[in-house]
Parts: sequence; C-alpha cells; structure tokens
Amino acid sequence: MDKYFTRMGDGSGVYMSAEEIKEDILQGVKDAADRGKIPELTAEEMDYIFEIVTMPGNIVGVERGREVVNTSDSGSCKMTYHANIAMERSTSVLVSEKVLGADSVDIGNMDYSYKAVKQIVHNETPVMELAQLNTVMPVLYGSMPNLGLYTKPDGPVDNWSELLPMAKIDEARAAQEEAVEHAVRDMVFVAGEMYAAGADGINLDTCGASGDADYLASLLATEKIKEKYPNLGVEFGAAGEFVLGMHGKLEYEGTRIAGLYPHKQVKLAEKAGANIFGPVVNTNTSKSFPWNLARTVTFIKACSEVAEIPLHINVGMGVGGVPMTEIPPVDAVTRADKALIEIGKADGL
Amino acid sequence: MSLETILNEAKQSILDIDQEKATAIAQQALDEGLDPVKVLTDGYSVGIREIGELFSRGEVFLPEMILASEAMKAAVEILNSALEDKASKTVGKMVFATVEGDVHDIGKGIALALIQTQGVEVIDLGRDVPVEKIIEEAEKHGANVIGTSALLTTTMPNQEKLEAELRKRGMREKYKTIIGGAPCTQRWADKIGADAYAEDAAEGVTKVLELLSLST
Repeated sequence: MDKYFTRMGDGSGVYMSAEEIKEDILQGVKDAADRGKIPELTAEEMDYIFEIVTMPGNIVGVERGREVVNTSDSGSCKMTYHANIAMERSTSVLVSEKVLGADSVDIGNMDYSYKAVKQIVHNETPVMELAQLNTVMPVLYGSMPNLGLYTKPDGPVDNWSELLPMAKIDEARAAQEEAVEHAVRDMVFVAGEMYAAGADGINLDTCGASGDADYLASLLATEKIKEKYPNLGVEFGAAGEFVLGMHGKLEYEGTRIAGLYPHKQVKLAEKAGANIFGPVVNTNTSKSFPWNLARTVTFIKACSEVAEIPLHINVGMGVGGVPMTEIPPVDAVTRADKALIEIGKADGL
Repeated sequence: MSLETILNEAKQSILDIDQEKATAIAQQALDEGLDPVKVLTDGYSVGIREIGELFSRGEVFLPEMILASEAMKAAVEILNSALEDKASKTVGKMVFATVEGDVHDIGKGIALALIQTQGVEVIDLGRDVPVEKIIEEAEKHGANVIGTSALLTTTMPNQEKLEAELRKRGMREKYKTIIGGAPCTQRWADKIGADAYAEDAAEGVTKVLELLSLST
C-alpha cells in the first residue's frame, strides 16, 4: 500500500496511507462542523484537500490568478529575532517589501503590547515615518491589546487570574471590566500617534488573548479609532478559534462574546468598523496535518461565506493548520496556504 | 433514593453548578450507606468531565468552570470524610506541578481534583516549580508518581530536564512520571522518556491509576 509523507500537528514527519489521510480529513471536517455548528465541506472539497496533501512536490502553490496578498504581523522584528540579523526596523520593512515581496507588513516593538508601547511611542513614530517615506506597500503599526498587563503587579487592576481560583467571580469580572477601559484608552492613543506619523493602519494583534474582556476592549478600541481617524485602517486579528470566556457575560451590540467561533467573531469586528479580520484556527498537536488542515478549512470557509470585510488568515506556528513548531515546515505551510485560498476563499494571509 | 438516581443527581449538581445540591447529595449518599468512591467516580466525576468538555468547546466559561470545581470540591470533602477511616482506599501518592517558567495551572487543578477522587493522595506543588523542588518534594512525601504540566513550547523542556535529573541522581526507577499540557504529545513523552502522557484530565486519571498499579 502506498504511503504519503505528511506531518503530525507537532511537526514530526509521518507516513500515512490514502485511507488514513481521507479518514483524518473527514474527522477534521466533522470536528469543526460539530464545534462551530457550521456546514461540513463537500465531498469534492475533501477530495481536493486530499489531493493537496498528497501532491508530490515539497512545496505547492495556488493556481495562476488566484494569488492573494500577504502580510506579516510583527514583521519588522522577525528578521532580527528569528534570523539573528541585526537590522533596524525600517530597513527590515524595506527588505520585506523589496526583497521578500511582502504586500504589507506591520512595525512593532519587541515589547509587543499597547500598554508598553504608549510609554515609548515617541521613539516608535520616527521608525514609522522613515518606513512610510521609502515604501509603496501599506505599513501598519501592530501590537497586542494584552489585557493581562493591566493587572497587579504590572498594572492598576486586581488580578483576575488570582481571583478566579479563589472563586471570587464578581471581583474577577469587575477587574476585567475596569481593565477594558485602560486598554481601550491606550490602543486609541497609540493609533492616534501612528496616524500622525503616517501609518496606513493599526494592527490589533491577538484580540481576545486574555479572554472575552480582551476581545471587547479591541472592539471598543476599533470603534473609537474609526470614529477619530476614519482613514486609518484597522486590522483585527483574533487570538484563538473561539473567544475564551474569562468573564463569560460580556456582550457587544447584544451578542455575548465568549465562545464565539470565527464566523461569528467576524460579524462583531465588522460592526466595530474593522477593515480586515484575521481569523485563527488552532492546531491540535496530537492530530495529523490532514486532520488539522481539513478542520481549519471548514472553519475558514464558513467564515468567508458570511464575511463582508477581507479575511487575512493567521497561518503560522500552531495556527491555520500549520504544525506547532518554531520554524513551520514549508511543505505544510504551502499546502495550508493553497487549501485556505482555493477552498476556504481566503482574501489574504 | 436508588444508587442510579444518586449518581445522576450528583452529576447533574455539577452540571447545574449547584454547590448546595452537590453537598446535600453527598451527605445523602453517605447516610444511605453508598460507596463514596463509586459516587465520586460515577457521579461527580462524570459531571466535571462533561463540564470540562463543554469548556474546551467554548460552551462553558471559566467562571462557571471554577464554580463547578468548587461544588465538586465541597462534595468531595464530605465524601472524603468517610474515606479517611479507610486507609486502604489510598492507592498511592503523587506530586503534581506546573513546570518552571509556566504559570498555567487551571488544567492541572482540574486533573488534580479528578485524580484525588480515585483515592490517590495528590500533593499540589503549584506552578512555576523548578525541577529540583519537584524531586525534593517527591522524596519528602514518598510519592509513587510525579506529574508535570506545561502549557508552553518554551517550558516543555523542563519536563525533559526532570527525566534527565532523575536519571542523573539514579532515581529514575523510583518514580513513575506522567506529563500533560496543550503542546505535549505521546511522542514528546516517548522522546523524553516519560512513563505516560495524558491528553486531558479524564485520561490523566486512567493513566495515573495504571502507573500506580505498575509501581506497586
């Protein structure tokens, strides 16, 4: 029986038979449909995922004419900390555009949180100005809402991670609500400074990483940014495939935020005024790449079908079907890209 | 009330996050002379596993999860009082820690609560615990099993470090080791030489009991 090389979700190589791959694709689709309460992929789409997974080349590509734009969050730092190439960030932006062919990139600080960045924003704006003078592509400024930084001892708010295990639920919820106000203020402040420095957009990266309050802060910040700076684009990138309910009762425009999967998350981002939504589907390290890919494509297709703003899918370490490895393997990344674009109808990556 | 009804009510009290009902059922089970281990295993534990599954799907949220755990803990305390007289019910000892550099312990707390229900004495070492401290505590308590949890790819190597340190000290055969946490896999366990891997809290219970049966 022929076996095909593929990978597990932790990146390790594995040889699987056609039957095993097809079964994993089916189970991945079913898992997404069950959890997200969304339609399964069609038999033809599952067959195409099988075809993509088993294509002989180490790398694969989309059909001519189906290329999409790509961007890179915290892109200006990655050459420095991934490749150990000492490079000033605005130079890194130029390399991304003129050498690597990036369609967009964001500038970020190594301390990648809005709370941290507001203190040094006067050092960040000249980097943005310089990059804007030399590039053609949109250059965004990115950071994380990172609500946890507003808790003691790092911030002014009681620490809900300590209150929750003590079953002090009301106090934990009140602390999260208080932190939302601080976070919104910081995000809007930094966005304003970057707008003045010529930024094309602001990237709210990993919205919801600290749970539903983090997500709410990002939505409210988006609203205010669009109100004050209508010409500044907002890229709203999710942190996980569903919004973790650290609070559990927060709502936005009458919709409870906790537990929302990508196809419902995008509708809230749209209402808030975001220009691009970056959905996330997490990789299960114990399952195979075909299982993870099929599951991811199922979620993304459902999200694409309802989205009215462009979707730029998070495809990287541990998300978007890609294995959880420090350096994502190119065979898996290119297959995930192809499937997400051609079946999931992604607008960008 | 029949055993079946008690078990169902015990499970439902956790699903309903009703601590008052959970403790009342536990007391009623004791009053009626039912086996407390069975009530824990087939009643409350089933409820907390279902809550855990709903949590992992984003259908139940952290505050509810915490309150359900509290309800379970209150019921376990009542049932444990009946078990305390029966030393034979303690099937082994385990130390359990989240490894150094990692402060995530929600999953560990759930696993710990479930494992305790099976008569295993679990010493919770907390989070961000260095390897040396884990070994020291295992020695101090005469543990049979060492459990470690890691939620980050950057802290997983501390599970490997524990295995190496046990070997270096000539203590590897003295303990059974089990690992868990989101980025961990059976392959990781095999690679570092851990005795077992558990994907979730429920599997943790089964695996720990298997390890204890091997270690005694």
